[in-house]
Amino acid sequence: MAAIYSLYIINKSGGLIFYKDYGSAGRMDTNDSLRVASLWHSMHAISQQLSPTTGCSGIELLEADTFDLHCFQSLTAPRTPSVLIDFSKLNEMAHYEAYTGCTVYSWFRRCGVLSGSLWGCDLAYAGAAGTKFFVVCEPGTPHMESLLKVIYELYTDYVLKNPFYEMEMPIRCELFDINLSQAIQKDRVALLGR
Amino acid sequence: MQFFGSAEISPSPPVPTTSGNNAHMMYVFNRNGVCLLYREWNRPLRTLNAQQDHKLMFGLLFSLKSLTAKMDPTSAERGNLGVPQLPGQGCSFHSFRTNTYKLSFMESPSGLKLILITHPRTGDLRQSLKYIYNLYVEYVVKNPLYTPGAPIRCELFNTSLDQYVRSIA
Repeated sequence: MAAIYSLYIINKSGGLIFYKDYGSAGRMDTNDSLRVASLWHSMHAISQQLSPTTGCSGIELLEADTFDLHCFQSLTAPRTPSVLIDFSKLNEMAHYEAYTGCTVYSWFRRCGVLSGSLWGCDLAYAGAAGTKFFVVCEPGTPHMESLLKVIYELYTDYVLKNPFYEMEMPIRCELFDINLSQAIQKDRVALLGR
Repeated sequence: MQFFGSAEISPSPPVPTTSGNNAHMMYVFNRNGVCLLYREWNRPLRTLNAQQDHKLMFGLLFSLKSLTAKMDPTSAERGNLGVPQLPGQGCSFHSFRTNTYKLSFMESPSGLKLILITHPRTGDLRQSLKYIYNLYVEYVVKNPLYTPGAPIRCELFNTSLDQYVRSIA
């Protein structure tokens, strides 16, 4: 018996960048998981359109007959960077862009990687805007929001700060895999312990 | 899929989950996707015209149902994504929640879809939707002047629905 059935991460355009199955009956094939992920992306967007009040940010929890789906979306607008830009570095930034042809965002990320500073980390968050994380679990499984936050942290730490990772591309980072399975394992132990 | 045994309205409606009026709107669709009823109690934001809105809502429910049927982690035989399914076939869903609203959904064996949109903090409304379905059976289906598939224009149904919804959400 598994409390968590599967985990999906989709990028801001609805492409599946990470999928892991933790023991659901009949594993989904690659095509289906891609289609399910992009379907979820559009359903999430439509649910915002149908909101009776302003400020809707999409489905957070879907309660189906045999499972619950918890969804967490990282910040939709890159709000943080403007206040965090260190203007003494503008020159350096311009040089970086001119020499490498990379965007300022990747420079931000690289700064975060190299210095490990707090502001670099916050910018990495901004770069991940619109990424959706969702877990499929047994109905009524508690603490899924906090688990999603933990997974998000792992993502920023081990994926976004990985200098070889390209944004919006499928995640193939060993450290992320290791830490993720540890987090899920811990969650499972905590559930059994109750 | 549970069928709705008694045709009679239960003497006392299910206990309300919270107090205060925080229902936003209600939709009733038949199995062909025709919007039979749309009631609105509190809707400050309208992004689309009525017809577009109904279409979008039906499309959302249809796709979410095929999504849940495909994702169902407890059965190995799940069919293909997007193939229409009969009511009660495959894994369906009963509600979803966003930060601004909660949508509760019920589908009857005949394919009638009841959708109630309330404040996100309302509890489980499955019993309430069953009660509303019973109201529909009593006041709409048993109305001799009602033609199946036509929009619902029954005064008695509307008033009792308004009254009941005010008492639940």
